[in-house]
Amino acid sequence: MKKMLSLMSTAILLLSLVAGCFPKGGVEQKAAPDAGEKKVKEETVIVRLEGGDWGYPTPFAHYSRGPGSAKTAYIFDSLLERDEKGNIPWLAERWDILDDGTRYVFHIRPGVKWQDGQPLTARDVAFSFNYYRQYRPVSISDMVMDQNYLLQIKVLSDMQVEFTTVEANATFLETVGRVRIIPEHIWSGIEKPEEFLEPAAVIGSGPLRLVDYNKEHGTYRFEAFMDFWGPRGALDVLEFVPVSDAVLALEKGEIDLAGIPADVLSRFKNNPAFTAIENPAFWGYRLRFNMEKLPEFKTKAVRQAFAYAIDRQELVDKIARGEAIPGSMGILSPHHHWYNSDLPSYQRNLEKAKELIVGAGISHKPSYDLLVAGGEEVRIGEVLKEQLAMAGIDIKVTSVDMKTRDARITEGNYELVLVGHGGWGQDPDYLRARFSSAETTWTSGTPGYSNPEVDRLAAEQLKETNEARRKELIFTLQQLLAEDVPEIPLYLTTGHNVFRQDVYDGWVHVFDHHAPTHNKLSYLQR
Amino acid sequence: MEKPSLLGCNAVIRYIKGVWGQLGLFGKISLIILLNLVLMAVFAPYLTRHPHHVSSGPPLVPPGAGHLLGTDDLGVDLWSMICFGARVSLMVGLFTALLAGLGGGIAGIIAAYRGGWPDRVLMRIVDIMVVLPDLPVMIVLAVFFGSSLHNIIIVLALFSWSMPARLIRSQALALKEQAYIKIAAHYGAGMGHLFFRHFLPELFPLMMVSMIRLAGMAIVTEASLSFLGLGDPTSRSWGLIINHAVSFRGIYFTPFWKWWLVYPWIFLTLLVSSLALLGRDLEGIADPRIMK
Repeated sequence: MKKMLSLMSTAILLLSLVAGCFPKGGVEQKAAPDAGEKKVKEETVIVRLEGGDWGYPTPFAHYSRGPGSAKTAYIFDSLLERDEKGNIPWLAERWDILDDGTRYVFHIRPGVKWQDGQPLTARDVAFSFNYYRQYRPVSISDMVMDQNYLLQIKVLSDMQVEFTTVEANATFLETVGRVRIIPEHIWSGIEKPEEFLEPAAVIGSGPLRLVDYNKEHGTYRFEAFMDFWGPRGALDVLEFVPVSDAVLALEKGEIDLAGIPADVLSRFKNNPAFTAIENPAFWGYRLRFNMEKLPEFKTKAVRQAFAYAIDRQELVDKIARGEAIPGSMGILSPHHHWYNSDLPSYQRNLEKAKELIVGAGISHKPSYDLLVAGGEEVRIGEVLKEQLAMAGIDIKVTSVDMKTRDARITEGNYELVLVGHGGWGQDPDYLRARFSSAETTWTSGTPGYSNPEVDRLAAEQLKETNEARRKELIFTLQQLLAEDVPEIPLYLTTGHNVFRQDVYDGWVHVFDHHAPTHNKLSYLQR
Repeated sequence: MEKPSLLGCNAVIRYIKGVWGQLGLFGKISLIILLNLVLMAVFAPYLTRHPHHVSSGPPLVPPGAGHLLGTDDLGVDLWSMICFGARVSLMVGLFTALLAGLGGGIAGIIAAYRGGWPDRVLMRIVDIMVVLPDLPVMIVLAVFFGSSLHNIIIVLALFSWSMPARLIRSQALALKEQAYIKIAAHYGAGMGHLFFRHFLPELFPLMMVSMIRLAGMAIVTEASLSFLGLGDPTSRSWGLIINHAVSFRGIYFTPFWKWWLVYPWIFLTLLVSSLALLGRDLEGIADPRIMK
């Protein structure tokens, strides 16, 4: 038995070595017939992507990360959608903004059907919002939940729904426009929505419907919804399949799109069967301080010391292999359309970092626990440990799996935590969500951090409906944050996605998102 | 009373010489390799020019003059990591073997000598441990107790004492019936006396063989656990070097695997196969019936 064990373990090691030895032949063989057949007849287009369990794609059961909410969005439409340039009408054909931006009337597109054949009306829209206000879905803006802000959602007619708010809000349209609309006839009786995991729970009005989901294997199968109201589906089947190595799987034709690391890109760039697209830097890692648990993090100088001690460019070079840009201390991604480039750069300066630590009057030798998830994040943790050690800051890296890390963030159970996620290209109101002291949740806010000026600007930009003036406010806000360093954006990945254009080439980037697979426009003919 | 005392220095040397003479070719080579690896681990600070835990050059430099075996993605010298990593692997091997081999051996002797309920209880526990699938349970325990070297050693030991216990028990049962032991017991020799004077010296070679096997098993399992991401993620054990190399995206499509992955793998293979071959030869010496 021990022998078996040793054999097994050795076999694992061996296999992983051998696995790399035969990638080249398989590709050409498989690519050729695919391309040939497509010319002859209009065949079923099946697109396969890397799988993984991201929860059951209902607004209540998906896992709160990009791939989870994206799958939910394939099925459930929203009032607005995003394209390459900005927000576009979707379930709402048009809308009127009345009474100085406190009243919105959405005109629902006629002829929209749910995937079970029932018509979608304004009642479903109002129901969805009211239902979410009763049962909180996985992700929703606090603005929608706030009974004192969003006063009323009223059905005016079959095709009209009216929202009344206390005051104008620059992000209202976008926020409300992204809420997933669910069918009243299915959800009205459901009292425990997070436990509602029946096939009926995934009936939406979107272009794809879920036909199979396997939690254990992390597989999903979506098929085109034939009665979809909008643009024709460009593919028939979308499958998420388990893969062990995305590069290998892409080469062997097991999947049709994958993020390809810098060192391997040349392999695909020279192959006419593949196309590479560069992603905008809207996915990034940030280092967060727990100011509630460790009051010394409330001292600006300590946080600035971290910023001076960390060499973000080194992280870009080593961990992202050059396919990233260093984060801005003003938080917004340098690729964001409202990025303020005129900010202190915090070039690495160990002397300054040490001075700041001494000046902050910390009596003990600074030593902190850094919580990271597995894989790449461990490596980031190791580099940070090395860099901070040079400034006299001791770091102990603790690695847990991603879900545990996320859960510990929600509980505020960490000293320093590294977290990577998307969304850095979204409406800059996320600066308010992260740093306004009114935001007290651990997931979105920064408990313990409070700067009255930040609070004031954050609140003001939200009410400012004049775009130019709002932009100014956001620029100032970035300046304040760059001075305060409430958290450290380490780097934002650019990276390349490579896809097999002979199988499917409809991939697009919407204006504020890094992943072409996360938006449904990538799956529609336009 | 002429039995050579284990503690006598000359006796030990004579014993080792005797063993060396009886070893086959593979056994001898294995022993030399093992000794070299041990020396490498012990004198790691003198054998390396670069630190093993922080970067000392540009990332992913191929083997060459500056870095003997190249560097990994963070620019940490691979030769340094392998030298210091040998300490982790050997420590895991040694301590697991000591804990499990001695623990299991003692349990086996007690079970055999006492008989009755201690024997039944111990052997039932052994039965249970034998049927439990090791790796899955170890993965669960490693996750549960957190990933530190101590925990890994303890978990490994917990799961590997049963084989030596069973083996030693059967030998001790036979030994118990020997006339000299019966006579000694008759003259009033207590459990402790018999244990240290007779059972332990007699059964030690056998325990040694089990321990060498356990060490090999423990080293591979530690590497596997690390490879699966369950070791201490910032330590520099061989398994972890392999883990980091394998999780480097697209490593097989780059030249990096030729040093980053292959060298630690070679060392791991050398260590484990040497232990296995040495164990096989020693087994033949301890129990001539095995070798024809």
